[in-house]
Amino acid sequence: MKRVLTVAVHEYWVNVRRPDFIIFTSLVPLLGIVALVVSIFFGRQAGGALVRLFDSGSDMTAVVDRSGRFTPVLPRYAAEFVAYADEAAARTALEEETVQRVVIVPETYPEEGDVTVFTEGSRFSGSGTSGLRAFFVAHLVEEIGDETLRARLIDPYDARVEYIGEEGRTSGGVAGEVLGFLVPFLFGVLLAVTIFVSSGYLVRSVAEEKSSRVIEIVLSSVTPQQLLAGKVIGLGALGLTQIVVWIASAAGLGGGLAVLAGILLPLFTRVEVFGLALVYYILGFGVYAVLIGAIGTLGSSFQESQQITGIFIFIAAVPMMLTGVIMTNPDAMVVRILSWFPLTAPTTMMLRLPLAEVPWTDIAGSIALLLVTIPVVVWLGAKVFRLGMLMYGKRPGILEILRLLRHA
Amino acid sequence: MTDSVLSVGNICKMYGSRAAVEGLSFEVRQGEIFGLLGPNGAGKTSTIRILMDIFKADSGEVELLGGAPGQRRERVGYLPEERGLYRDQRVLEVLVYLGRLKGVDGATAKSRALTLLERVELEAWGGKRVKELSRGMQQKVQFIACLIHDPELLILDEPFQGLDPVNVELIKGLMRSLVEEGKTIVLSAHQMNLVEELCDRILLIDEGRALLYGSLKEIKREFAPNSVRVRAAALPPDLPGVAGYERQGDVSILTLDGMGAQELLAELVERKIEVESFERATVPLNDIFVAMVRGKDAVGGADRGHRRQ
Repeated sequence: MKRVLTVAVHEYWVNVRRPDFIIFTSLVPLLGIVALVVSIFFGRQAGGALVRLFDSGSDMTAVVDRSGRFTPVLPRYAAEFVAYADEAAARTALEEETVQRVVIVPETYPEEGDVTVFTEGSRFSGSGTSGLRAFFVAHLVEEIGDETLRARLIDPYDARVEYIGEEGRTSGGVAGEVLGFLVPFLFGVLLAVTIFVSSGYLVRSVAEEKSSRVIEIVLSSVTPQQLLAGKVIGLGALGLTQIVVWIASAAGLGGGLAVLAGILLPLFTRVEVFGLALVYYILGFGVYAVLIGAIGTLGSSFQESQQITGIFIFIAAVPMMLTGVIMTNPDAMVVRILSWFPLTAPTTMMLRLPLAEVPWTDIAGSIALLLVTIPVVVWLGAKVFRLGMLMYGKRPGILEILRLLRHA
Repeated sequence: MTDSVLSVGNICKMYGSRAAVEGLSFEVRQGEIFGLLGPNGAGKTSTIRILMDIFKADSGEVELLGGAPGQRRERVGYLPEERGLYRDQRVLEVLVYLGRLKGVDGATAKSRALTLLERVELEAWGGKRVKELSRGMQQKVQFIACLIHDPELLILDEPFQGLDPVNVELIKGLMRSLVEEGKTIVLSAHQMNLVEELCDRILLIDEGRALLYGSLKEIKREFAPNSVRVRAAALPPDLPGVAGYERQGDVSILTLDGMGAQELLAELVERKIEVESFERATVPLNDIFVAMVRGKDAVGGADRGHRRQ
């Protein structure tokens, strides 16, 4: 174990200092920071420029109040609403662009509720209408003496919905339902991304050791299993470091609390889903990392090794491509097959678990198969690794690999 | 000098239908330099990889430093033929890492690395990246990398490859001093003059099988032709027991038949012939190697006691 850790620490430490790793890892936070800086320092100006481009002046509404309900304008609306005594004056102001719209409130308003709005182009939409609605409500309820009732009329309710599940327990509401799916789904994405990122480092590491011919010196000190395990741990940690930096920077830039809540809420609502997603993540990473590390040795160059291992990245991503099927019918036969097949089980189950009551046979079976697969993959992977690392020159064909494996 | 540090008994290794090693047996004794020789593809690298537990033998026994291959990794230093270093890393960093893989703690590995770098005149290069070193320098770093953990047994596959004569001398000197310290060396090399100079005993293999095995001196004696090299002013044509005569500059090579070298020398002294030098003719190891591998049997006429088929 000591040697495995020595290899792992070496792999991690050497690669984490590589300029390309630092640049690539910093890229996401840097882009985020740039976007944030642009939005903070230039966003308002840019927004203002846009407003000015389409909107030559302030956003002021002229109110011609013939009902007497909306004048005088309440002080908190004085910046956006101005009362005009007659329609002609208001329309002149509109033509002179002193105001952007004119609202005529007839005497019959209290009974019929009709108003007439004069505006330019399409400037009576979005915030314009909601602002006007708030203006009307605020002035109408002003007559009510009860302040609490007034507040409730302006903002009638703030709903906290609790859904009762099949077993009569609350499930944390819509947010909990969404996040209960989202977090395992993100685990699936994380697994695919981790495999993609870490496999790149694994393939490069084995390709470099092979092309620089240092591998045989290393193999005289450690067994292929120890070397492979050390690489998987060290470079897996490297890939995780990169992802953690990306997530942390995204959380820091985009609102850390929201992300934290997103992770914690499902943890409290569906602990078993979260726990199983973690189990599948670890097992899935173990299987893929060993496979990619071993198969990567068969290439005669980094590029060739990448091509060979690309197939595994594709297999890992297959369930993500079938997200639609998994979401609409999480118990379909194809989904169940993917749940049992060790190479697709981790991602499929991460997507499937939050969507349905997955039969325990599927869960136990897929975990058992993964647990059996890992030692087989490690054993076979070490053989391929031993063989591939010492095989220089052209890439061997499948038949040749099988033949040589018998003798490795 | 007689304790066995490596004992190989009848090992076999097949690659498909091709035998890379076939029934090979030999022993390496403590404190000697043992030459493992053979043409390209003879099975030397496969044999060495079996010793290092990189490959498993299909059958046979290997006892290395009293245990199975792989159990004594930390006591063996290995310089493979296909070798290199982490090009982007610093020399000292690489040496410390390789030392740690052999179970040496970081501080000791660093201290030994600095000492060894000094020993091969590379003390100023410890902080440089490997790719900044010349090929010869890298070769020397590779050599000391297999000494970083102070091994008892060294297995060196082509250690002189790519070295200039000055550095060959340096490595030779280092090997000799290691043997003086009590270390044992298994040397595989194609430079037969160096093998002759360094090795006590040799094993010559071809097609996975042993052709010659034993003390280098004895092998050379056995392969020596029954002839002498004489430097003298003039040799009479009627010397008894001389079947052949060849002149090479001022040296005459006399092939003897029915007469020993001592008797011929006595004859020359008796006839009062002024002899400047008189020596038994020997065959260079290179000639023995070539002849054995080609299957020729024309090297000398002595008994082939060390020949193994």
